[in-house]
Amino acid sequence: MALQNNWNASVNDYAISGGWNCDGNSLVVSDASGGIYVFNGKSGEVIWSQKQVHAVGGLSTAMHPFKNKFVTTGQDSRILIWDTYENNIIKEINLGHGWVENVEWSQDGKWLAASCSRTVYIYNETGDEVWRSDDHNSTVSQIAWAANNELATACYGKVTFFDALSGKQTQTLEWKGSLISMVLSPNGDIVACGSQDNSVHFWRRSTGKDSMMSGYPFKPDSLSFDETGTFLATGGNVDVTVWSFQGKGPEGTTPLSLEQHAEPLTSLAFSNRGLNLASGSRDGTVVLWGLRMDNKESDLSETRLTDSVSNLYWHPDDKALAALDGQGVITVWHVT
Amino acid sequence: MQNTQKKVPVTILTGFLGSGKTTLLNRILSEKHGKRIAVIENEYGEVGIDQGLVIDVEEEIFEMSNGCICCTVRGDLIRVLSNLMKRRDKFDYVLVETTGLADPGPVAQTFFMDDEISLEFKLDGIVTLVDAFHINQQLGRSDESTEQIAFADVIVLNKIDLVNNEELDVLESRLRKMNKMAKIVRSEMAETPINTVLNLGAFNLDEALVRRPTFLEPEYPFEWTGIYSMEPGQSEITLAEGPDPSMSLVVVADQGKEDQALRNSAERCVRLYSEDAKQIQPGELIPQDSHVMLDLSSSGRKSFYLQTENKIQVGLFAQHTAEEFDIQVLTKDKTTIPVETERTWVAQHEHDDEVGSISIEINGDVEEKKLEKWLSKLLAEKGIDIFRMKGFISISGEPNRFIFQGVHMLFDGKPDRPWGNSPRRNQLVFIGRNLDEQDIRQSFEACLI
Repeated sequence: MALQNNWNASVNDYAISGGWNCDGNSLVVSDASGGIYVFNGKSGEVIWSQKQVHAVGGLSTAMHPFKNKFVTTGQDSRILIWDTYENNIIKEINLGHGWVENVEWSQDGKWLAASCSRTVYIYNETGDEVWRSDDHNSTVSQIAWAANNELATACYGKVTFFDALSGKQTQTLEWKGSLISMVLSPNGDIVACGSQDNSVHFWRRSTGKDSMMSGYPFKPDSLSFDETGTFLATGGNVDVTVWSFQGKGPEGTTPLSLEQHAEPLTSLAFSNRGLNLASGSRDGTVVLWGLRMDNKESDLSETRLTDSVSNLYWHPDDKALAALDGQGVITVWHVT
Repeated sequence: MQNTQKKVPVTILTGFLGSGKTTLLNRILSEKHGKRIAVIENEYGEVGIDQGLVIDVEEEIFEMSNGCICCTVRGDLIRVLSNLMKRRDKFDYVLVETTGLADPGPVAQTFFMDDEISLEFKLDGIVTLVDAFHINQQLGRSDESTEQIAFADVIVLNKIDLVNNEELDVLESRLRKMNKMAKIVRSEMAETPINTVLNLGAFNLDEALVRRPTFLEPEYPFEWTGIYSMEPGQSEITLAEGPDPSMSLVVVADQGKEDQALRNSAERCVRLYSEDAKQIQPGELIPQDSHVMLDLSSSGRKSFYLQTENKIQVGLFAQHTAEEFDIQVLTKDKTTIPVETERTWVAQHEHDDEVGSISIEINGDVEEKKLEKWLSKLLAEKGIDIFRMKGFISISGEPNRFIFQGVHMLFDGKPDRPWGNSPRRNQLVFIGRNLDEQDIRQSFEACLI
């Protein structure tokens, strides 16, 4: 397994978020000065771009799971739904005040959730508001969709689940700490959160059992589950920590520690299928790891970007990997 | 790479609503300094902010680990600053404006507790604006305004046009007692030079003590200053019988009336006062710009003389107030010259605020092990009540001064320049709530060799 350089391109500022279009033929990038770019996924040529769309700066991007559209948000309080190939805004939503920090399509593509300050907003596929939550007790730091169209929100002290249709709260998981990252296992049973106090906290929704993994030297701000929900890769360190949920784990087990980076991790992404894991760090190093079901590493490949890795995105067919960095350089590799 | 970039300085601007924060902010932003300044505020000011990037945040305080006050940080700042540092067109300076009700502790601690923030930003200083007209009531009513005074590196005493000089002097003494470390500046309409509030380096051990080697504001050996306009020729200073048989005095020629001019002369007079005083008998001429001791032992009113060549303003920096000796200044033909400006310098202990400063100044060396023990005990027991601390210590066997500063239990110390030939001594300041001065002093003295 190796990373083979395919193409490079650049955007105007820190590449803050993005993703592959569902057809795999284009890569979308949003930058910190508010620009939106759609690149040809094979050649890296710009299909279209617009500068300073989001005044002051772009924040989050979400790709529709099976239609040629995506959504971007920014510090200008706006949520924009775009047609990937037509360079036009299908729908503009202006929340009036605050940063729209998170946006996500539900897994069936029927719902769109966005968070701004202490409120989460739910829209239908065309961007019409269905409901909005009451104020959370602090800013919503992360949102995530479970497979059954439940929306999870993380804020200081708790994770809350909402029913997408009714907006009713279905579950709250409490823990006193500032939750800064969140990921759900694919079947939605395990909720893992990174906390400001350098720990990872997780809950099993079915049993209500929760655990805390502490001892991280930095904030675990990147988390990724593999497609089976067996392995959870966590940042918050120079080394990648991989917890295995096999058997009675991960409680009482020693995690796998993947040692290759020289600086703290900034991004982690398991491949869509299989056990390939991509990791990126502050110094721009990207490492591709091959894991095995016995939670041992089998293979690795390393490469270097010019600046801190902001995000890593696997191509829908896992045959390519895209990396966004702090200098606005976009790098796409063939994974061979 | 990020690590080698220069850290962006951050100034925290505190003060109650109406103290003039927005006016000061606008003055800073409109000045032609060529800097890109980002403003983070969590209060919708009554006045709009003219320019610059303004980000509104909702104050979110949380504990990084349970139950520890020094681990409380501001989550909103972490989020906004983490995002700001991603931009290519970086900001040169960040101003954080907090509400009158905000506790400055968590704001300050954010810059030490969060590793990503401390990698990119450095806390430069805490500036507290005080509404000179209303502060006395506010200090009585709220913990927040008291804490904002206690945390400050600079206190801007604003709206001085609404208060007379005497009240200002009393107020300044009160604030000084609460916070001996802060520099106090007076202003109308928040008109204060930008360099008195920005780029202070107050939390940087390398900078702070270099700029202000004695970080303590001086305790003035004189109580009173009066400024008089003198015609060329001879003038007379007369004193009635008073509480002492003598009085120290420095006459400053060409004394300006502005606050800054007074402070500059005051600092100079502190040095002059440390020199031996020349005895002056009644009827003699008083030399200018030097330390004299007026002999007042004879009975009745006594006269001394001043000789000036040009028409100038003269400042009398006197050991006692004009009232105590009924100091009068007369022309050659015995006409009274009115005092144009006067101010008092010495603390008047009429308020007993629970927040105060303790300063320990003592010669000699301390034993390192005892010092460590003392410090960890002090911070463990009193860390919650200690808002700020600063100082230098002479550790036995160490050729260099040891300097330190801290916020609550967060302590930052390191060796500084060598002592060389200068006398080895210790100077420590603690600002906090209900600190037992005698206990802290004695327990520190027990660390001396």
